[in-house]
Order: sequence, then C-alpha cells, then structure tokens
Amino acid sequence: MPAYFYKTTPAAPLALFRLLFGLMLFGSIVRFWGNGWIAELYEKPHYFFPFYGFEFVKPLGQYTCVLFAICGLSALLVAIGLFYRVAIITLFLSFTYIELIDKSTYLNHYYFVSMVCLLLMFLPAHAYFSVDAYRRRTLLADQIPAWCIDSLKLFVAILYVFAGLAKLNSDWILHAQPLRIWLPAHNDLPIIGFLFNYPWVPYVFSVFGCIYDLSIPFLLWNYATRPFAYVAVVVFHGLTALLFPIGMFPYIMIVTGLIFFSPAFHQRIINQIGNWFSASSQFLHPRRTYAYSPAVKTALLGTLTIFFTVQLLFPLRYLLYPGELFWTEQGYRFSWRVMLMEKAGYAQFTIKDQLGHQTIVNNSHFLTPLQEKMMSTQPDMLLQYAHLLRDYYAQHGFQHPEVYVDSYVALNGRLGKPLIDPNTNLANEEDSFKPKPWITPFHDTIYGL
Amino acid sequence: MLTNIADNIIVPAYANFKTKMDAMTTKSDAFAAKPDKASLADFRQAWVDAYTEWQKVELFDVGPAEQYTLRNFFNIYPANTTGIEEYIAAGSGSFDVPLSYPKQGFPALDYLINGLGSTDDAIVARYTTATDAAKRIAYLKRLTTQMNSVFSTVYTQWTTGGYRDTFINCTALNAGCSTGKLVNGYVLNYERYIRSGKIGIPSGAMTNGTVSPDKVEAYYKKDLALTLAKTAHQASVDFFNGKSVKTGQEGPGLKSYLNSLGAKDSQTGKSLVDIVNAQFDLVNQKLSVLKANLSDEVKTNNTAVTQVYTEMQKAVRMLKVDMTSAMSITITYTDNDGD
Repeated sequence: MPAYFYKTTPAAPLALFRLLFGLMLFGSIVRFWGNGWIAELYEKPHYFFPFYGFEFVKPLGQYTCVLFAICGLSALLVAIGLFYRVAIITLFLSFTYIELIDKSTYLNHYYFVSMVCLLLMFLPAHAYFSVDAYRRRTLLADQIPAWCIDSLKLFVAILYVFAGLAKLNSDWILHAQPLRIWLPAHNDLPIIGFLFNYPWVPYVFSVFGCIYDLSIPFLLWNYATRPFAYVAVVVFHGLTALLFPIGMFPYIMIVTGLIFFSPAFHQRIINQIGNWFSASSQFLHPRRTYAYSPAVKTALLGTLTIFFTVQLLFPLRYLLYPGELFWTEQGYRFSWRVMLMEKAGYAQFTIKDQLGHQTIVNNSHFLTPLQEKMMSTQPDMLLQYAHLLRDYYAQHGFQHPEVYVDSYVALNGRLGKPLIDPNTNLANEEDSFKPKPWITPFHDTIYGL
Repeated sequence: MLTNIADNIIVPAYANFKTKMDAMTTKSDAFAAKPDKASLADFRQAWVDAYTEWQKVELFDVGPAEQYTLRNFFNIYPANTTGIEEYIAAGSGSFDVPLSYPKQGFPALDYLINGLGSTDDAIVARYTTATDAAKRIAYLKRLTTQMNSVFSTVYTQWTTGGYRDTFINCTALNAGCSTGKLVNGYVLNYERYIRSGKIGIPSGAMTNGTVSPDKVEAYYKKDLALTLAKTAHQASVDFFNGKSVKTGQEGPGLKSYLNSLGAKDSQTGKSLVDIVNAQFDLVNQKLSVLKANLSDEVKTNNTAVTQVYTEMQKAVRMLKVDMTSAMSITITYTDNDGD
C-alpha cells in the first residue's frame, strides 16, 4: 500500500465539518417543515414520480413528518457526535428515502447531501470532539488517516469540476443562456439590480461562473490561494443565494468549502467552542491516532475506490445516448448539472380506446403545479405520467387505453417544439436505461460537452 | 409596467365594469318592482352590457380577485337550473359553497331572464302571475346583491384598500408577486376559461367530438356567446399589448417587457411578440367567420368552431411556454436548481 495511505492528519477539520454539516441539515429540515413543504410536496400530491429502479420507495402520507423528524433528529445526533454510526446511517437512509419519493423535487444538492452522508458513514468523524468520544475515551483521537479528509475534498472537487465542464457549451458561453433570461428578472434588486439591464452582464456572469467551477477546488486546495478562493466561494454562492431560489445549497457549499482549510484553522475554532463547554485539555488534545485494523482499512479503501469510480463515470453516461442531452435529459440527473437550463413545457394528454372513447386530460386533476411543470419537460416523467393515466382510465371505463401527448417545450430561449412524438402510444412504451426513440430530435445544435 | 397595468388597465376596467354592473342592478330592481315586457327588455340589455364588460375583467386573476375567487361568483356555467329552482323554492341557500357557483352570477341571470319561456310574455308571467313569482323576484334581488357585494369587496381593495400599492411594489417574478400571479392568472384564463370553456368544451374538440351545445356561455340568450368569446379574446390581446383601457394607447405591458428582453425565435429572428400577435390574429380570423349563435354553430358548423380551438391551442402554448419561459416566471415557492 502506498505510503500516502499511512499518513495521518489532525482530526479537527473532519470533526468541525461533522458538526457544521449536521447543524446545517438540521436547519434545512426545520426550514422545510416550517415552510409547510412536507405537506405541500409529500402529503398533498395524489401521485408521485419514483426513480427508475427505486419504485419500491413509497410516499408515507401523513407519516412523512415522522420520517422528517427521524431525519432531523439524526442530523442533530451527527452534529454532536452522539451514537454517531447509528445516527449517520439513519440520516443517510432517511434523507435519501425522502429524496427518492418524488422526482419532481430532485435537486442536485440533495443528491450531494445524500452522497456526503454516505461517505461520512465510513469515516471516523466522531473520533474527535464528539459526545461519543467524550463518553468512550478509547475512541477519542485527534489524528486520523489523511485519506479520510482527502476523500471529502476529492468529492467536492469532483462536484465543482463536473459542474464547470457542463458549462462548457455554446448555450452557456456563447449565448449566455439561461442567465440571459434569469438575470434581467432581478433588475429590481437594490444596488446591483440595474446591472442586469445590460446585455453584456449575463456573459460576464456565465464566463466567471464556468471559470469559478473549474478552478475553485484547486485554488482551495492550494495554501497560497486559499484565502482568496474562499472569498470567491462566499461571494459566488452568496450571489446565487440572492438571485436564485436554490434554498440551502449556497450555504451548504460555503460551509463545505471550509474543509479545505488548514488543521490549525479548524483547531482554533474547536478550541474556542471547547472553551465554552470548559472542555479539558486532555479532551481537546488527547494525542492519540485513530487506526483501522488492516482488514477494515482494506475494505474501506476498496469501497471508496468503487464510490469514486462510480462518481467519475456516472456523470459521463450521457455520452452513451444519442441526441442533445439538454433536450432528452437522458443521463442528466446525478451529474452536477446545475442552473444550466431554462426549460418550460406544456403537455396535453389525449386518452382513447378502440371503443371510441376519447378524452383530454386536465393535468391539475392528477398533479400539483410543481409536478406538472417538471413532468412536462422531462421525458421519463412524461412516460411515468402516461402510464399513470393509462391505469387510471383503464379503471374508469376505457378498454386498453391509448395515451398520446401533445407536448411543447422551450429550451434556453428557443421557441417551443414538440418534445414527444405525438403519434406514439405511450401506454405501450416502457422506461429503461435504453434510449427513448419516441423523443423527437432536437432541431438545433448545442456545441460543447 | 405594473403601474401602467394597475392604473391604466385593471382599475379602469373594474371601474367600467362597475358602471355596467350598477346599471344592470338598477334595471333589475326596476324589473322587480314592475315586471313587464318593457322592464324585462331593459334589464336584459343591461345584463348583456354587463356580461360583455365582465369579459374584460375576468382575466385579472390577481390580488383580491384571486383571493375571493371573483370568477366563481360571476361566471361559472352552464347554470345549474335545477339547483336554481331549488334555491328559489327554498327562499334561501348559501352562495359561498362551490356547489352554489353555477346557481349565481351571469349564467343564473341568463336562465332567469332568457330561459324561463319561449316568449317575453311567458317569461314575464313567471314573475307576475306564477304562484312563486314573489320568490323568483326575491331571487333576482339576491343574485344582484351577491354580485355587487363580492365585486365591491374586490374593487374597493384596489381603490381605497391599498392593494394598488401592494401590487405595484411587489416586483419580484416569483409565484408570490404581482407579475407572476398576473401572468399565471392571465394564461390560465386564456387556456381554461376562453379556449376550453367558451370553445373547446361546447364544440367537443376536447371531448371526443361529443358536441355540447348546452354548455356554451349565455346559452339561453342564444345570440350572445360569440360576442362574449370575441370580447374576452380581444381583452386578452389588449392586455398582452399593454393597451390602456382609458385611452386605447399601448403602454408598458407584456409586449414591451418581452421586447425589452429581446425574446425572439433564435432560428428565424422573428420577435416573440410578433409571433404571438400573429397567432392572436389567426384566432380572430377563425372567430370572425362564426355566426352569433354559438350553440347552433357547434352543431351545424362544427369544423369552423374546432378550428378556433386549434388556433387558440397554439396561442396557449406560446403564452404558457414561450412567454413565461422568456420572462422567467416561476410557478411555485419551493427550491429549484434550474431544471
């Protein structure tokens, strides 16, 4: 095993990350609950869009808030490092379950949170500055293997680089889309609002956004550039928080960026917090190293290798599909493609059968406005909805209902075009990882990655 | 833009409607006081005027109109005639529950002044010599009182209730602010209440060609439905273009906003505004060949009515997808990381 895997590093950065990440998630859950989104997104809808392969994930109806309570509680336990292993596994499972209930609520940062939880399940984030270590001094250690912290950094770097690579396309760089649509909508902001009336501003934002994503992990990793890079992180994510309705994501990234800072930096903060709790010097500086047994270590490194291989390959799966990715969205999710498209759609379904029944569907009878919006631009959701309609109408007097859709989708300022072949009976089509031939070709070209 | 829409479009349109509504109430009261053919004719004309004027305000589904669901109390059709007769017989009945919506407003009046007999004499008789004449007259009074009460709640919020300032100061484009609500309400009105309600459902275009001549607007008046449809459509066109209700001049509105954003077809370079207006013209052309009695038209000239639906459908897509997308209007409050 290369020497790198024997290197140790202070545990402070990982411990502080655990604390902040747990609190952040707890805050997110409280915010979500407080905004009434549990009812809005998980109790109110009559139908849901499960992910392909995860159809067994069912909505819990009125018990959804119990799931959120479990999730919030485990986030709090992770933060203070009490019953850490159980808490982080519960957090991963409950959070991921929530996110898998309905595709309409998919957000890249929820996926990010799930994956960080997954990583944390394998890392000794509770070895230092945790209630567990306080209660069980054999666990307490202020040195951990270096790869434990580096794997978090690597994951964050992968996110940024893929997000940056995804911006290397003609819509983003040459046409400043979709920022050209989004930014002018904020010309009423105080102080900077007037800027968005200038046509060149979206181009500047686009180019800087792309350079930022591609370079920030390296600038953060490098000691000399780190302070400037972190200022950039705060400004960049602060700006996106101001401009776009992306919820907690900017704050999560601002907190996550701290992981790149030096152990001494984290140690100072932890000492400060420790002082508030009158923690003993022995608790803050135990001078012990957390060590895995060789077998466990090999297993963990193997797991991480698999994890990172998947993380590197999964965002590239779109290359296997024909057609324009932004149009077909085959391989779009779970690939760190953030804020890349202004996509709006309209889908009107017609149901008919051999007996001559025919009806036009009012989508609001089945879906919430959010679900309808998401469904009308994403082919796999259109298909799921078509099947839902097929099953519904089969129970309401139609014999072997056929489902057709009149769809119309506008992408990044282009005028709308049909997304789905109107002559395909979607009742007979099945979802799979194979290309969907019933998606109409994109009548334009977006160059780049 | 919001100031122009409030001061030159919405508030004056409401004021115009109030004038017609007041006139109709006066004529209704006169008819109630002395039901005869002359007062019936006056009442009917005032009802036609007010119903037509209503078409120019139904599209403002924002603020108090949205909060109090103004439309539900004015124009849910076809009228539920059985329910109306039950309410008349009972001499009471709630006007606030959803089931009561088709028992009130213009469609209920349509039934009561146009649908109770084949001649005016026969109709007047229902208010004079019929055993339930007094109850029927009382119901007319209840209807106009209800309409005036709901409308004045909405209107006074705009004039003295401070909503105008709330409206023009809420400039963000999210679902909670004026532009978002206004545009979403406008598009919904065009799609569901003009395209579907006035044309799509009666013509059978949305229901397997099953023609429903009894589902046209103002069914009992026979010759008004097309006028109402045209008026409502023109109101949508004028609103899109930001046309002042007071002067007829175009001011800041959806059109100027889209133009300032430079919304256009990236392939042909044609502006979105021109494309939408061309589509509106096409709808107008298709409407212009229809005869006044839409109820007959859907039976005898169905293809022509269906063509209106088809062209309206294309306009719906442009408004709902191309326009809202170009304006970056969101529909919900929840987090979103850009599709």
